[in-house]
Amino acid sequence: MNFFLTLVLTGVSVGSVYALIATGLNLSFWTTRTLNFGQGSIMMLCSFGFAFMVTNRVSLPVAIGVCFVVSALIGVVVERLTVRPALKRGGGSMGWVVSTLGLGILIQGLAAKFFGSQAVAFPEILFSVRDSVRIAGVAFSLQYAVVIAITLTVILSLELFLRHSRLGHAVRAVSEDAEFARVQGIPVDLIVVSSFVASSLLAALAGLLAAQIGGTVDSSFGFDLVLLGFVAGVLGGMGSSAGALFGGIALGIITKLVGGYISTAAEHGIAFALLMLILALLPNGFFGRNEVRRA
Amino acid sequence: MDRITYLASAAVVGMLAVWNPAAFAQSAGPVKLGLSAALTGPFNEFGEGIKRGAEIAIEEWNAAGGVLGRKVELAEVLDDQLIPDRAVQNMRRILDNQDIVAIVAPGPSGPTLAVVGMVVADGRPFCNSQAQTPTIVHPDGPDKPPHPNVFSVAMSISSEAEKLGTAVSAKYNNIGIISESTSYGKLGAELIRKSVLGIKPNATVTAETYNQRAQDMTAQLVRLQRAGAEVIVFVGLGADATVLRKTMTRLEIALPLYGSSGLVNVAFMEGVGDLAVGVRATNATTFGQKPFPAKTQAFLDRYRAKFGNDRWYGADTENPLISMAPLVTGAYDCVNVLLSGIKRAGSTEPKAVVRAIEDTKDMPGLLVPSIAFSPKNHSAFSPSDLAIYEVKKRGDKLALDVIEK
Repeated sequence: MNFFLTLVLTGVSVGSVYALIATGLNLSFWTTRTLNFGQGSIMMLCSFGFAFMVTNRVSLPVAIGVCFVVSALIGVVVERLTVRPALKRGGGSMGWVVSTLGLGILIQGLAAKFFGSQAVAFPEILFSVRDSVRIAGVAFSLQYAVVIAITLTVILSLELFLRHSRLGHAVRAVSEDAEFARVQGIPVDLIVVSSFVASSLLAALAGLLAAQIGGTVDSSFGFDLVLLGFVAGVLGGMGSSAGALFGGIALGIITKLVGGYISTAAEHGIAFALLMLILALLPNGFFGRNEVRRA
Repeated sequence: MDRITYLASAAVVGMLAVWNPAAFAQSAGPVKLGLSAALTGPFNEFGEGIKRGAEIAIEEWNAAGGVLGRKVELAEVLDDQLIPDRAVQNMRRILDNQDIVAIVAPGPSGPTLAVVGMVVADGRPFCNSQAQTPTIVHPDGPDKPPHPNVFSVAMSISSEAEKLGTAVSAKYNNIGIISESTSYGKLGAELIRKSVLGIKPNATVTAETYNQRAQDMTAQLVRLQRAGAEVIVFVGLGADATVLRKTMTRLEIALPLYGSSGLVNVAFMEGVGDLAVGVRATNATTFGQKPFPAKTQAFLDRYRAKFGNDRWYGADTENPLISMAPLVTGAYDCVNVLLSGIKRAGSTEPKAVVRAIEDTKDMPGLLVPSIAFSPKNHSAFSPSDLAIYEVKKRGDKLALDVIEK
């Protein structure tokens, strides 16, 4: 029982990070039907920069503030310089895939140049690695608990914002039909760029939480996590907050159970094969919906 | 064809047969060496370490008048970022440069294995300072002939596995191994298993793998815990060891942790802080002797004068980082092996240099205290050149002490 519970609790914790990343990807998907594949570099830049600042005696709140401001600015750059020009060309252009990835690789290269290429220690922000509670006799790290709590809070807040605020309704209107929303006087451009800013902020937050778990960060940090976040988003249904949460946690639990009961070498291989099977049966994921496009 | 024409033709053919463009091109200018290594990218600690060690060795040779009366030059220094394909491209460029007379191998096993075939086909002497896979030098096993022109001073994983296997089998009956899922990691795990079972046939050995940069190792640890492991042996690099140590702490798994030399690098020591205390790992004896032997101290002084207390040396002047041994001093030894071979051969002709290197006996080194090769053995490092270190807390600093030679 302890064996199973340990794997499930860890799966939920690890999956919460995937869910947070998937939620960040959803934000830009809502407004532009695009994904920022450079999210991993934003995660890396924030956590790497944070570690660098704290090592150089910058206080934690200031370092976190700087990380978020820089990440927000990158969100603006992503929308203005990579996604918007690609979408303007229309015709179902997939240019944004290359340009968001390209910007991510550029950020990675710059980070390696300025911070160095080696892994550096990441400080503990919330709780120590030794802090834990016992759940049914199993030690459960408070660092993991924080990740779950923050993910749930963010996703719940986002859902409340979308459903019960005027601005949230405006975002949904843009998501449904941007041109019609523009005719209605909704500041579509502002909402679109804001979605990229919010998406980048979530990536930054996910980066800080994941780096604290691992304990080190380097310039390659984040790329694998974004891939898993993307898979979580697709599994749950791209564009759905509940789907991101479900997909992330399901992916986390499946990989841990496969690793624990079948083989750690096949942890990702078997888990991904299972996901392919699920997606073959449910192409829009568990919470996705079919889209009807105008001719 | 008359007799004179025939003899003249035969003489030309004969001259062409013995003529070596590398030796010819090198007859006047500096003696040129080449290397490809990870100078940038996430693994540049390996390549930059090689470059720094090689530079110091070359400076020493040049200060002493060079070799064969000529200056020594690191003529081709190419960046492969530890990517095997790029290492192959770089090595092609190096081998196409007929001025290069000897080559220092890329860092770890991936790129070195990728280039070794082309280097063997070329025939110029090649020295490995970091890659731990034994087949780089002895492709068919340690008892079989080595590649003719490939030499190694690197800590081999077989030596480390033997040392670790001996150490843990002396104290424990149920041993858990966690290794990275690379060929290096899998080979290391297998060799440790063989070493343990060779000493203690009734021991239980359970092995698990992880992917590099994994963010969590819960599944691996709970499987070892369920198998009843009394000790964990880690084969991998420090950043991943940080994840392992932190996951052990979160799961309250208080088993002793042993590991290969990659375990106790800077990323691990900084990443886990005091959690490193008690961790044991193999490493070269190089920095385990205090006070340092004169040759080691002289190298350290030169290093610090040239590069300062950098990331390779560490902040503590009296206690340089132990990871310097495999990362930097191996390349220093390699350059000395290659240039000593050229000096003793009295030529840069590859076969003569290779023969001279095979005659190397009791040559003082840093990573390998006494370097020796033979036609049958091209690997200088042996388990006796390893010690087991333990991380201890001294004041507010973490330090590594030799606990077993």
